[in-house]
Amino acid sequence: MNEAFRVVGIRQSLQLPAGRVRRNWRGKPLLSALLFVLIVTGCLACDLLMTKDPSYMDLQHYCVPPDGTFLFGTDTMGRDIFSMIWYGGRISLGIGFGAAFIQTSIAVILGAVSGCAPKSVDRLIMGATDILLSIPNLLAVVLLQAALGKGSVPGIAFVIGITGWMSMCKVVRTQVRQIRNSEYVIASKCMGGGFFHVLWHHLAPNFVSSVLFMAVMSVRNAIVAESTLSFMGIGLPVEVISWGSMLSLANQALSGRAWWMILIPGLFLVVTLVCLTNLGNHLRRRVNRRHSNL
Amino acid sequence: MNSRKIVAVLFSKMLLLLCSVFLLSLLVFYVSRLAPGDPLMSYYGERAEKMSPQEQAYARSRLGLDEPLAIQYARWLQRAFRGEFGISYKYKRDVREVIGGRIANTLLLGGVGFVLVFVLALALGVVCAWHEDKFLDRLLCRIGTVTSCIPEFWLSVVLILIFAVGLRWLPSSGAYAIDSGHNLLDRLKHLILPLTVVVISHLWYYAYLIRNKLLEEVRAEYVLLARMKGLYRRQVLFRHCLRNVLPAYFSLMAISVPHVLGGTYVVETVFSYPGIGTLLYESARYKDYNLLMLLSLLTGVTVILCNTFAQTVSERIDPRIRREDGESYEEEEQ
Repeated sequence: MNEAFRVVGIRQSLQLPAGRVRRNWRGKPLLSALLFVLIVTGCLACDLLMTKDPSYMDLQHYCVPPDGTFLFGTDTMGRDIFSMIWYGGRISLGIGFGAAFIQTSIAVILGAVSGCAPKSVDRLIMGATDILLSIPNLLAVVLLQAALGKGSVPGIAFVIGITGWMSMCKVVRTQVRQIRNSEYVIASKCMGGGFFHVLWHHLAPNFVSSVLFMAVMSVRNAIVAESTLSFMGIGLPVEVISWGSMLSLANQALSGRAWWMILIPGLFLVVTLVCLTNLGNHLRRRVNRRHSNL
Repeated sequence: MNSRKIVAVLFSKMLLLLCSVFLLSLLVFYVSRLAPGDPLMSYYGERAEKMSPQEQAYARSRLGLDEPLAIQYARWLQRAFRGEFGISYKYKRDVREVIGGRIANTLLLGGVGFVLVFVLALALGVVCAWHEDKFLDRLLCRIGTVTSCIPEFWLSVVLILIFAVGLRWLPSSGAYAIDSGHNLLDRLKHLILPLTVVVISHLWYYAYLIRNKLLEEVRAEYVLLARMKGLYRRQVLFRHCLRNVLPAYFSLMAISVPHVLGGTYVVETVFSYPGIGTLLYESARYKDYNLLMLLSLLTGVTVILCNTFAQTVSERIDPRIRREDGESYEEEEQ
């Protein structure tokens, strides 16, 4: 050791930010929020944005690279990709939110019941969840999808929702159990707080942030699942336009070297997913920013 | 823990495993038969459509498909106990042979991918924790978040577009070229792209986990004590903090085997890689019941074994995790 004596563990005083306004915006996912809002509004207001009919097959202009008339080019069936992006985004996002809603409701209800229930019921629910978790997700989705028949938008949302709630349910249950056993809940009960009082005033504020985070993540996962399924040909058929079904033409695009058919819808998909992830991470309870001892 | 207790615990775990496998098989059996579609089509192909009703009925009874579902299941179960899983309708061979010919490919892709993810995530997590909140850490976090968001299938297609179609450096599909006679170099060339996808799509999830766990650990009091005693940062991070983080990481990696496995399934289908994933997908689509049953049982057993293993390991290493709240590591999973 060079120096005989070193000082460790110095705490620097907190740096005061330059201005109040700046501090409020720092560390918030502004760019993600902006992009996400832009994409969502674009998809909702797709009637104003579309330059062509997205489902019209212009067979004279198929596989046209991006130019002035076809802003993002056309696909192998002669449909205008620019219009399809906005039109299909509605379906992709809709499936994402729908499936996430189903997942979150099942997970929260079952998780809360399992967390509050006596041991035998808890064991039963968790055992069932474990078994369902052990079915490969792809297999479950393929089987259910086949059982429902031809792919439709509500059908896909249902299938993704019903197969994806298990891990969230376990997290909710663990959280509920942890909170339930903590001192302040016991104190509240001792002072005569009823079940709903405890639930609303003590349990809900504590797990709402992590549930919200998981809900946003499940929107993301559902969008990925829909596009993967449609890509593999078991989700939405090619006639129903979504980002996934647009990408299902990728194999034909590869042989025709039509990069725009793969890159453009994919980029929209990835940007949406990144925005959702950033927003979700922001919702999660912040890591304790104590000073590092290292 | 005395030996009798260990036996009791092992016994109850085995019982639970058996129960789960039984329920899993029941579930897959019934749901797969719920779906419309005709297994005869996968057995006879085009010919099935031209068959007369009598011929169809005969073919059905020959394959044992004409009986009530419960009896079919009982029969399947009976044979499964003897280790027979029937023939694949599509390949017309024993399902064990069909799977045996392919499982090595999946194990190669998934195994190498898993080890790479494991090692690289550890390294990346430590690098990020070391440079906490410095430029490198922030950069890696940004890149990591973006890469973890890219869907596997799209990444595969883009890589094929760049490296196979555009630059023509690497092959776009399969596990080996037909005329190459299975040499090693050719094998590796076919493995690069799928492996890249598997590694990239899972890497950041685990690296970020390691990073966050380390950051939590670094804030503990003992770190200050160790620094006060004159240890270097490096020594504290590697000898003390990392050691405390590793058990949780090991058990998480054990639970994540199915996650990585599921990822290889998608990648396999995009690259038409001859592995279990493509087979599973095909058999579910084309009603190859016997093949489907064995494949889903295999995957299910792997998942359950990994979960049990993870739980046991973390209980052994960290006695604070009791059986009652054995799932407490799940919280960090998301």
